[in-house]
Amino acid sequence: MSVPRLPDDDELLAAELAFGLIAGAERQAAQARLAQDSAFAAAHARWQDYAAAMVHDAGEVPSPSVWNAILARLPANDQAPGMVPRATLRWWQAGAAAASAAALVLGVVAAQRPAQVVVQVPAAPTPVAPMVAVLTGKHGLVTISFDPATGRMTSAASGLALGDHAAQLWVIPADGKPRSMGVMHAVGAGWGRVPAGAIPALSAGVTLAVSVEPVGGSPTGLPTGPVILTGKMTATA
Amino acid sequence: MLAAVLRRTGEGDRAAFEEVYRRTCVKLFGVCLRILPVRQEAEEALQDAYLSVWQRAGAFDAERGSAMTWLITLTRNRAIDRLRAKGKIATAPLDLADTVADPDPDAAALIEASQDEQRLALCLGRLEGGDATLIRTAFFQGSTYAELAARAGAPLGTIKSRIRRALLKLRECLS
Repeated sequence: MSVPRLPDDDELLAAELAFGLIAGAERQAAQARLAQDSAFAAAHARWQDYAAAMVHDAGEVPSPSVWNAILARLPANDQAPGMVPRATLRWWQAGAAAASAAALVLGVVAAQRPAQVVVQVPAAPTPVAPMVAVLTGKHGLVTISFDPATGRMTSAASGLALGDHAAQLWVIPADGKPRSMGVMHAVGAGWGRVPAGAIPALSAGVTLAVSVEPVGGSPTGLPTGPVILTGKMTATA
Repeated sequence: MLAAVLRRTGEGDRAAFEEVYRRTCVKLFGVCLRILPVRQEAEEALQDAYLSVWQRAGAFDAERGSAMTWLITLTRNRAIDRLRAKGKIATAPLDLADTVADPDPDAAALIEASQDEQRLALCLGRLEGGDATLIRTAFFQGSTYAELAARAGAPLGTIKSRIRRALLKLRECLS
């Protein structure tokens, strides 16, 4: 393979930047050049690969508390462009004093669209049997499968038109309090681990719902935007 | 693919962010531990690194490099930032005598290393004594040319041309 060769001085500058040998104005100038000079940027990327190859896997796993600490440090309210304005984010809170948020959410859903398709699979509530749900609404369709044995789920979505917003999945058990199952792929298939807080709520017969949230998910931990799809969880065996 | 999950993280997808963490935390923790051997400090640096991932993933460009390299570079920089902020950048003298071999401190891990890692270790091993130490020290201890010169007790120009020669040799060996 022939790679276009840079003059040695440029090649070395790219390496010096990648290995952290230069500082101050020299470093800033080299960084500025990355945006303008694609051959230089390519050489820099190659040197970064070399530097990264000095790192060997120590096989050490960080404590589980690290992930929680990261989540706690994320901005509570993402300032992502195209975010739902705050006023609409809080629509559900108006009635929260009288009714629980979930009851309100479900009430709105029921008023919007009574027609609901649920896959009827003969249910025998074994706790470890995989579960499925089909969530329907005015627009779009989402299917969810959840395997209690592994705590993982898959999702498949079609026909959701969310624009700049995210689709967040919730489980709403008998106590009426929604637990987040995470932000899902609004187009096509996705899979992932169900958050630990939602797993105990997942059983045959519970309601799943998809709400429209700002990019990155609900900033409050509860649904903040309209619920667009709902369905019931069904055990498969 | 990691690049795709990283891109979705850049769009604010927290599930994708968790996926990035799950796939890369052991490797990136390795970077932090190499720079900050005290576990608690390494874990704090790892937090800093992933916060930067969340904030900057939108700037990752798969056309311009691999996702793992991008993550390693960012993590290395956050860990070095932490060293500097705490006034812990190493100043201890460096022994660069020609007779000193350059053992890779992680050589034991090389058995399970990727081909790229093995090749780089081989090429670093072929450099003259002390040169690989200088290069590793820059990357893992955050020592710049000026700091390396001070630690080696050598004039800046001497250290600079020595490292530049070594980098060109490294390129020959790797290309």
